[in-house]
Amino acid sequence: MLDTTKLILTNNTRNFFKKIKEAPVLYFIFASMTFFSLIMFASATYFIMSFETGFNISLDDVFYTVFFIFLLKSGADLYNHFVKSEELSYPLSTQVHQSKTIFEVFISILVSQLVIWFSFSILFLLMLSIFNIQVLYLLEYAFFTVGIIAATALGCTASFFFFSKKKYRILPTFFLLAFCFYSQKILFVILISPLAFVHLYWAIKNSMDSFLFSNRKERIKEKAQIKQRGLIKTLFYRETTVLWRDKLLFSFIFFSVSSGLFTGYLYLYGHELLIPEQVRQMLGEFLPQMFVFLGIYVVVVYTAVFPGLNLFLNEEKTMWINRHLPIRNETIIYGKTSALALCFITSIPFVFYISIFIGVNNIVFLLWLLIISYLAGVIIAVPIGAKYVGKKSDILLLYSMAMILLAVIGVLSFLGSFVEQNIEHPIVIYSLIVSIEIILLFISLKISARIIRLDYS
Amino acid sequence: MITVKNLTKKYGKINALKNVDFKFDNSQVIAIMGENGAGKSTLLKICAGILPFDSGEVFIDNFSIKSDSINARKQIGYLPEMPELYERLTGREFLFYISSLRKVTEPGKKIDEISRMIGIYDFLDYEIGSYSKGMKQKISITSAIMHDPKNLLLDEPIYGLDPLTSRAIQDFIKQKKGSTIIATHSTQLVEKVADFVYIIMRGEVVHFNEVQKLVSEYGSMEEAYFNVKDEKNA
Repeated sequence: MLDTTKLILTNNTRNFFKKIKEAPVLYFIFASMTFFSLIMFASATYFIMSFETGFNISLDDVFYTVFFIFLLKSGADLYNHFVKSEELSYPLSTQVHQSKTIFEVFISILVSQLVIWFSFSILFLLMLSIFNIQVLYLLEYAFFTVGIIAATALGCTASFFFFSKKKYRILPTFFLLAFCFYSQKILFVILISPLAFVHLYWAIKNSMDSFLFSNRKERIKEKAQIKQRGLIKTLFYRETTVLWRDKLLFSFIFFSVSSGLFTGYLYLYGHELLIPEQVRQMLGEFLPQMFVFLGIYVVVVYTAVFPGLNLFLNEEKTMWINRHLPIRNETIIYGKTSALALCFITSIPFVFYISIFIGVNNIVFLLWLLIISYLAGVIIAVPIGAKYVGKKSDILLLYSMAMILLAVIGVLSFLGSFVEQNIEHPIVIYSLIVSIEIILLFISLKISARIIRLDYS
Repeated sequence: MITVKNLTKKYGKINALKNVDFKFDNSQVIAIMGENGAGKSTLLKICAGILPFDSGEVFIDNFSIKSDSINARKQIGYLPEMPELYERLTGREFLFYISSLRKVTEPGKKIDEISRMIGIYDFLDYEIGSYSKGMKQKISITSAIMHDPKNLLLDEPIYGLDPLTSRAIQDFIKQKKGSTIIATHSTQLVEKVADFVYIIMRGEVVHFNEVQKLVSEYGSMEEAYFNVKDEKNA
C-alpha cells in the first residue's frame, strides 16, 4: 500500500538531511532567514491591523497568494518526480496498475505540500500570537488547507498536460484556474475543488504520455552560428545560449519592465496607499526613496543573484566537462560570469520605465544605483555559487543571498542618497564607489576560482 | 605515457584506491577490470584531473596532474561512465564548445568525420536533452577523440552502443597510437583490443598480465578473470 509514495518521501527526506550534513552553514543561514521572514510577515500583519492605511489586504488576497505559490510548486514537483524521473521506470514496469503508481506520486507531492503548509502556517500563527493577534480562525484555516489541496491537484494536472503532445487537454485546468482567480473568493475555490479532483483523475488516467516527455528539437537554423571562439567567448556563448533557450532573458526583461512600472507607481502613490498618516509625516521624503530602493533590490535579486548562483548550482553532473579540459579555473569563472553582463542589460529597462513616473532628472543616480547594486549582487553570488556547485538548493540559497543583499544594498543606497544631497560633484564619489566595487568584483572572482579548484590536501 | 605512483584515494573511511602503482607506455592498450566499486572509474577520474586524491602522484606524459594540471589535461581524451552533457545544446554545439576550449584545428571537418564514423552525424543538430543513452555516449566519444589525444581514458566505452558502432570503436582503439586505458566489465572487449590487463579488487591491483598470455593459459579472458579472482579470494 502506497509503496511508491513511501519510497519518494523517504528519498526526499534522506536527501534533505544529507544536504544539511553537507552544507550546514547554508542551511543554518536559510533557517535563520526563514525565521526572520516569519517575524517580518508577522510584524507586517500587526502593522496593517493596528494602523489605518489606505491599503487593505483581505483574507482572500492572502489566500490567493498562498494558492498561487503552492500551485507553482506542485507543478514543478510533478515535473521532477514524474515527467523527468527515470527512477520511476521501475515501479511503472511492475504489475501494479500504472495509474495507481502515478496517483501515489501525486500523494507524495501532496504530503510534502501539506508538511510545508502546516509547519510554516503554525509557526506564523505562533508569531502572531506573540503580537497578541487573535489566531483562532478554525474554519478559515480549514478553507486554506482545502485550497492548498486543490492548488496541488490543479498544479499537477497542468504539469501532466503541459509536458505532453496533447497540450490542448490543459484547457479545463485553465478554465478552472481562470474561474478561481476571477471569482476572488475563497468559497468559490472550495466549491470547485471537487471538479479539480475529477480533472486530476482524468489526467492521471491519461498521463503516461507525459512520462519522460521530450520534445526533440532540431536546430538547423542555429548551425550557421556555430564556430570556433576564444576560451572566454566560448564559455560566454554556452551560458547565454542556455539563458536564451530557457527563455530566462525574456523573463528578466519582462520583470525589469513590470518592476519599473510598479515601483514608479508606488513612488508617486505608495506612501498614501500603504503608510499611515503619522508615520508618513515622520519619515517624509524617505518613503518614496525606499520604494525605489526596494524596486532596484528585487530587480537585482532576479537578474543578478538568481542567474549568478545558477551558473554553478546546475552544474552538478556536468562539471566534469570543464574540469577535464585544459583550461584554468579563472577562465571558467570569467567565462561564466561574463554571461551576467547580458543579464545586466536586461535590468536596464527598469530605470527607463520608472523614469516615466518620476521624471528623467534622476536617471544618472538611478543608473548608478542599479550598477552598484548589480555589482554587489554579483560579488556576493558568484563565490557562494562556486562554493555550492551542483547543490541544487537554489531556492534556499537564493533566499538567503537575497536577505544578505538587502542589507548590503541598503547601506550602499543610503550612502548614495547622502552623497546626492550633500556633495556638490557627486559624480566623483559615484565613480570612486564603482571603481572600488570593480576591484572587489575582481577579488571575488579570484576567490571563486580558488573555491572551484580541486583540493589535493 | 601515464605513470601512477603509490596512489591512494579515500571516500570517508573507505579506501577507493590503495597504493596503486603502474606505468603505461605509448602504443599500449591497458584494460582495467574489477567488480563494481573496485575503484576503476575512480582511477580514471583521477587520471583525467577531475577528482583529487589523498597521496601519491599521477603523471601524464611527464606532466603532474596535481601541479601541472593544464599541460597534463592537454594530453588526454576522457570518456566518463554514463556521461552527462549540456542538455540545452545540440550535439554539434557541444562538440564545437569542446573543440574551442581544446583549440582543435579544423573542428568542423573533424566533427563530421568522427560523427559519421560512429553514426551520430544525422542527429548532431538536435538538442542533447532529447538523445538516448547510446547517442549521448557517441557524442561523448567524439568529444574525447576529436583532438587526437596521445592518451585516452575510456570508462566503459562500448556501453549502450549498437554493434556496428561498437566494432568501429574497437577498430579505432586498436589502430590508435599512444596509450589507452579502458575500464570495463566486458571480457570480450578486453580480449579483442587490450595488450595488458590489470585486475583491481577493493582498490588494490591484485593481478597484472598480458592478455594473450592469460587467454592462451585459460582459454578465454572470461575464464582467466574468474580464475584470477578465485585465486585471490582463496
